Amino acid sequence: MSHLLELEGVSKRFGGVQAVDSVDFFADPGEIVGVIGPNGAGKTTLFNIVTGFYSPDAGKIHFDGHNLVGLKPNQITRVGVSRTFQSVRLFSAMTVLENAMVGQHTRTSAGVYGALFNTRKTVREEQKVHASAIESLAFFGERLTPRINSLASELAYADRRRLEIARAMATEPQLLLLDEPAAGMNPAEKEGLIELIGRIRDEKGYAIVLIEHDMPVIKGVSDRVVALDYGKKIAEGSYDEVAADPQVIAAYLGKAGAEEQA
Amino acid sequence: MNLRSALKPGVIGGIVITYLSFIGMVERFQDRNVITGLVGLGVVLMLVAYAITSYTTARKSDSPLPTGIAVGFIAGTFVALMTLGLEGLINAGLDVRSMFVSVTPGLLETLEFGLNPLVGAVVMVLTSTIVGAIAGGLVKLDNHLRSAIVYALGITLLMSLGEPILRVTLGNLKIPTGWLYELGGLTFSGTVVVVAAAFGLRWWWMNRADVRKEAAALIPDGTRRTRSRASLIAIIVVLIALPWIVGPFVSDVLGTVGLYVLLGLGLNIVVGYAGLLDLGYVAFFAVGAYAAAIFTSPASFLVTEEGQQFAEAGFTNLWIALPFVVIIAVIIGAAIGAPVLRLRGDYLAIVTLGFGEIIRTLVISDWLSPYLGGAQGLTRVPAAPPDSFDLRNPQHIYYLILAFGILAAYISYRLVDSRVGRAWAAMREDEDVAEAMGISVVRYKLLAFAMGAGVGSLGGVFFAAKIGSIFPNSFGLQVSINVLAVIILGGIGSIPGVIVGAAALVGLPELLREFGEFRLLIYGAILVAIMIFRPEGLIPNKRRQRELHEGQDPAPADLPEGAPS
Repeated sequence: MSHLLELEGVSKRFGGVQAVDSVDFFADPGEIVGVIGPNGAGKTTLFNIVTGFYSPDAGKIHFDGHNLVGLKPNQITRVGVSRTFQSVRLFSAMTVLENAMVGQHTRTSAGVYGALFNTRKTVREEQKVHASAIESLAFFGERLTPRINSLASELAYADRRRLEIARAMATEPQLLLLDEPAAGMNPAEKEGLIELIGRIRDEKGYAIVLIEHDMPVIKGVSDRVVALDYGKKIAEGSYDEVAADPQVIAAYLGKAGAEEQA
Repeated sequence: MNLRSALKPGVIGGIVITYLSFIGMVERFQDRNVITGLVGLGVVLMLVAYAITSYTTARKSDSPLPTGIAVGFIAGTFVALMTLGLEGLINAGLDVRSMFVSVTPGLLETLEFGLNPLVGAVVMVLTSTIVGAIAGGLVKLDNHLRSAIVYALGITLLMSLGEPILRVTLGNLKIPTGWLYELGGLTFSGTVVVVAAAFGLRWWWMNRADVRKEAAALIPDGTRRTRSRASLIAIIVVLIALPWIVGPFVSDVLGTVGLYVLLGLGLNIVVGYAGLLDLGYVAFFAVGAYAAAIFTSPASFLVTEEGQQFAEAGFTNLWIALPFVVIIAVIIGAAIGAPVLRLRGDYLAIVTLGFGEIIRTLVISDWLSPYLGGAQGLTRVPAAPPDSFDLRNPQHIYYLILAFGILAAYISYRLVDSRVGRAWAAMREDEDVAEAMGISVVRYKLLAFAMGAGVGSLGGVFFAAKIGSIFPNSFGLQVSINVLAVIILGGIGSIPGVIVGAAALVGLPELLREFGEFRLLIYGAILVAIMIFRPEGLIPNKRRQRELHEGQDPAPADLPEGAPS
């Protein structure tokens, strides 16, 4: 078991739909893996299985020496997997800072007792939570730091996406799963995102897996690309290899389109 | 100004006053003096109705003054014609009262200001037109002046309505009241003083608020903290002195308010902090009350026959029983929480509603009656030592409730900004994401139920101690609804909100007691009005207020096209 994250033959069926069909997958520290595929290919389902929101019907999932199958989402976060959501799901009535502070939950332990008596340990812990949240936000330069006391819902759209990533980073993960981080961004913002994801990898050393429809983004950041269609892995390799794969072209353009291209 | 736009509100105002007259409210209220010998409450009721219809219409109009006059004129004409019509019908020998029981000669006298019917009608139209003109004129006034005028009139009315309590209170403070009150209402000179004082104070306050806003930035943080600490101490001092100022009757009401504050603070943890809509909160109240009674009453099944004699002197001390009661409630809270952990929102509400009913059914059941007393309840809950501290005395138990209320408020205050509070807030907003952030939703739901149960059970304990005996019908659904109403009215998630909400919800019906059968009508109308004009509650949680008024801000500018919703 040499990979940080390793999936073996993972399957998931919803009623008559085979959402994920015996997929093998891995990711290593410092690596950025892009996951592509048409709508309904099972990409987000795969994320949900890894993060414990769905339990797989079959297959094994190992992460850093832990078996993830059967663990609850919060336990999976604790062992070092963090994620963002396809539709931005911030705690919209909490401030930017508080959103990031929530990310520190698993790295702290204060309970009711600590809160009521404001023990020295709690005070120190709150200082740490605060500092670490500020640090995650500072990663985004001047985008989030000046707005730490705004409500998350008051942020501009692209900043909400950034805050989601900051919140996920605040959990101190080893593996970061990003679900369509570029959705709804303009070209300049996408450029910034590519740079940012690279920087996260370089500075934090996370393994990063991202689902993305935007090919320039995939091309810009991925060390390796995995293509899914109808729940099956249809191609894997460098961006150029995968983009040239006839099965991938067929999946995106339909069979006729694939023939035309050829 | 468009006359037609004034017609509808004018007629509606007229219909409202006609309705209030026909159900007997105007006449009944007229018996109550506002300014003795000059204005009765029935007339005030009409004037307020004219003023509200005129003001609300004028505010939306381009030419407020003429609109206000027109609305007032139309409403007054409607009422005057209605009065003349009634006179005509009665003169024609028709028995109007067989249909409208409340259309009495007394009512007609009020509507005609005690004058000849025709002259009365003219006076009515004149009065309504003048009120409409004043209301329309208010729209144009600047904020400070308008606010001061409305405050002056409102406080005068409150001072007059609060006469039974205020006179006693001032009497306890050895302040003479003869110059202020007379025959249940304000004296004329008293009115002048009150109007002037309220106007002046409000005027001064508004101007000072402006100055303070500018100065606020200049005040160092430390000073501000000292000031807020000082005002907190001042509030506590007032709270401690309160029962001796207001006397036993109001103290008793304050005790009930305090019980609701305790229950509200407990439910606020469950609903306000953790976002779990619990409609069966009365269960924890009942657990607290019954557990306290079982531990302390000599009638308890825990007392053996041999122990009876010893028990008469007080079986278990209430103070010793208290922590055990809370522990039991916490366990039951967690036990009730456990099966409903998977449920969300509406489903959770219905299931907790069921739990509340199960508890009520259990305590009334024959099956448990050897232990819980069934329909007879549990009696003889003894007072706790020392003897000089009498729990049956409303002025004494008030302090006990106050102390634990402060404790509960402190617990809430410490929790909300802690790691636990953040976890609750995250869970309230989005359970899935909270889970993805590493928060064990199961654990924090259980914790919220347990904490809510613990605080709520304190309410039960003091309820049992205050009344001295408990009966199953004290623990119906109504209690759950009232407590929920307390926190919604005060502002969900806000500690001062719970306190003000409890005071309003429990205190108002007591203050409105003299309105007899109209009490609940007025009470309901006030609650509806508060919720329409302040949906975020009386003292909202700042964050929620921002959220609710978010729609009024311009949308974030750089929302790109094609952003997924």
